[in-house]
Amino acid sequence: MDQFYGIFLYVISLLTMGGIYAILALGLNIQWGFTGLFNAGIAGFFAIGAYVSALLTTAPSLRHLGGYELPYIVSFAVAMAVSGIIAWGVGKVCLKLRADYLAIATIGIAEIFRLILKNETWATNGPRGVSMIPKPFESLPEPWNQLAFLGLILATVVAIYFLLETARRSPWGRVMTAIRENEKSAMAAGKDIEKFRMEAFVVGCMLMALAGAFIAHYLKFIGPNATDPMTSTFLVWVMLVVGGSANNKGAILGAFLMWAIWSASEILTSRLPDELAIRTAYIRIFLIGLALQIFLQKFPKGIFPEVRPKPERREVVTESNASR
Amino acid sequence: MRYMGKFILAASALALGASAASAAEIKVGSVAGVTGPIAELVDPIIAGRNLAAQHVNDQGGLLKGDTLKMVLSDSACDPKAGVDAGGKVVNVEQVVAVVGASCSGATNGMVQSVTIPAGVVAVSDSATAPSISELKDNDLVFRVAPSDAYQGAALAKLAYDSGVRKLAMTYSNDDYNAGIATVFEKEFAGMGGTITANQAHEPNKASYRSELSTLASGGAEGIAIFAYYGSSGIAIIRNSLENGLFDKFFAADGMFDTSVIEQIGADNLRDRISITQSASDYADSSYQAFEAAFSATGKDPKAPYAAHGYDASFLVALAIEKAGSADRSKIGAALREVANAPGEVIRPGEWKKAKELIAAGKDINYEGASGQVDFDGNGDVVGVYSVNVVGDDDKWAITLLK
Repeated sequence: MDQFYGIFLYVISLLTMGGIYAILALGLNIQWGFTGLFNAGIAGFFAIGAYVSALLTTAPSLRHLGGYELPYIVSFAVAMAVSGIIAWGVGKVCLKLRADYLAIATIGIAEIFRLILKNETWATNGPRGVSMIPKPFESLPEPWNQLAFLGLILATVVAIYFLLETARRSPWGRVMTAIRENEKSAMAAGKDIEKFRMEAFVVGCMLMALAGAFIAHYLKFIGPNATDPMTSTFLVWVMLVVGGSANNKGAILGAFLMWAIWSASEILTSRLPDELAIRTAYIRIFLIGLALQIFLQKFPKGIFPEVRPKPERREVVTESNASR
Repeated sequence: MRYMGKFILAASALALGASAASAAEIKVGSVAGVTGPIAELVDPIIAGRNLAAQHVNDQGGLLKGDTLKMVLSDSACDPKAGVDAGGKVVNVEQVVAVVGASCSGATNGMVQSVTIPAGVVAVSDSATAPSISELKDNDLVFRVAPSDAYQGAALAKLAYDSGVRKLAMTYSNDDYNAGIATVFEKEFAGMGGTITANQAHEPNKASYRSELSTLASGGAEGIAIFAYYGSSGIAIIRNSLENGLFDKFFAADGMFDTSVIEQIGADNLRDRISITQSASDYADSSYQAFEAAFSATGKDPKAPYAAHGYDASFLVALAIEKAGSADRSKIGAALREVANAPGEVIRPGEWKKAKELIAAGKDINYEGASGQVDFDGNGDVVGVYSVNVVGDDDKWAITLLK
């Protein structure tokens, strides 16, 4: 009985983390999937969201800034707003760059944010991180507290999904695709592509900050190690690419799927003898790469490919523009 | 979704199969940063934990001959992975207690979001952040690794006992040194000493003359330095001596290195500097018992926190034996009983003796390889520290602080 209850709790945690990653993947989907912005600095905006929300909700502490004890709804909103404003500033500088240059610039900028958060000890307690962050619903008895938190995450994912689906089908979304497919023709059609790219970048970064805020409350602790680029940037990319870039369902599926592989594979490897178990810990990282290869071989456009009115992608642009 | 369904099914089938097949197996979670930034440090720590389990299993096992199994899970030194790893061992593997999770951040996340809500005891063998002591942990979080706070207190006592009453202090503005400095300031003032001036400094400057002049103006008898020797410590001592500003130095372990003597000169430092450092008591028979057994595995017994890994796991095993069942809720109280005085002293490797004493209803008191491991109210242990002064052979002379 305990065993089933334990597995039930584990599945809740799996879905919670998967849901948080789904928000990250949806944020990236707006930027890369729809608009073609290669943002390799997810970890930076994720970290901003996590620290802002953490510092706004914790009780006073001598170790870091804060003690505001604000309600979650305010801290989530401020985290998104701060990230959005910073993203706007970054976008002003970087969005003129072409895809690969933008990727390099965003990696650098994300590292700058992470190093600032790590070194401004007076504000963030530096490498020791912010502890005792409150968690929504934690006063409820087990397992209702975990279920309620999962509910909050999943409701957020669903809400974002419907908003993004609406946006995708709207003229706004079609302009985004036009920019991704052929910037010059979108410009020729009279679209202010800089403005549109900026909008996609800012909205995406705000969602990443929201995911960061959720993770800070979920872990009840945030430190520089929680925002390392491997699990906060590159894993998200893998999720989106496997699930299906430019498809919101794909982004969500990819997040749950890859997190499940990442996490649950260890239940198998930990059954090996100790010496092997230590080595196989690295195989889990390899598994993510292998899964990416296999899925891309089988589903070159991701598990859920992009769905446009007509399947021929080259004609999509002219088609959708002409239809307006 | 069907893929994830399969994964969960496979995972649960395996977990169920394993628990059904080995009813006489008691699991303890072994969460460590196997991958990630401290991977090379973690290997001997895990070896220490496994050696403890081996001692238990070779000498009669737990309770009625049950096997102790350490279930390894990777915290990657990352709070996200730490929470995930903790959830797996606690919920899927149904462990009785958890040892780990290596880094302070990962441990902090894991205990707050997983083990405390689940009512599971976690014993950390290498997390030293003072903030872990402050958690509302329902007496479920223990550490055999001393909090950084203790070294600050140990140094303050050392300085006060040496007769110094007025001290200036300076610390390098990084988290480790700032943390110890904060505790030192509070403790020294609490004993009745006076801190005449306290100033942070940035490492890697060419000269600290101006800072030191300011610090020296308050009439201090000496200066306490919290810094790494290479980035600022040596320069501070050199500037102090050159300008005649200070000639008595107290320092924490960031300053402990032979290059301090080499660069400043033994005669310039003799009778002038005392450095505290975290250390096992290598002359202690508990440590030697561990050393002999651990060396046989081909690993270095002096590797950082390897002895702590052994102690944490051995204590958990003793607590299970003391509690008389693999009941999670009884481990916390039992842990305190077996670790703290009074009771007959049990040393590393003495599982058979401990088992017999517990069966006879006698109290035991585990004295570990890393120190006495007596838990205080926060579940912390007092660290063992040595004081290092310049000896007659122009090398550091190490004396254990009692």
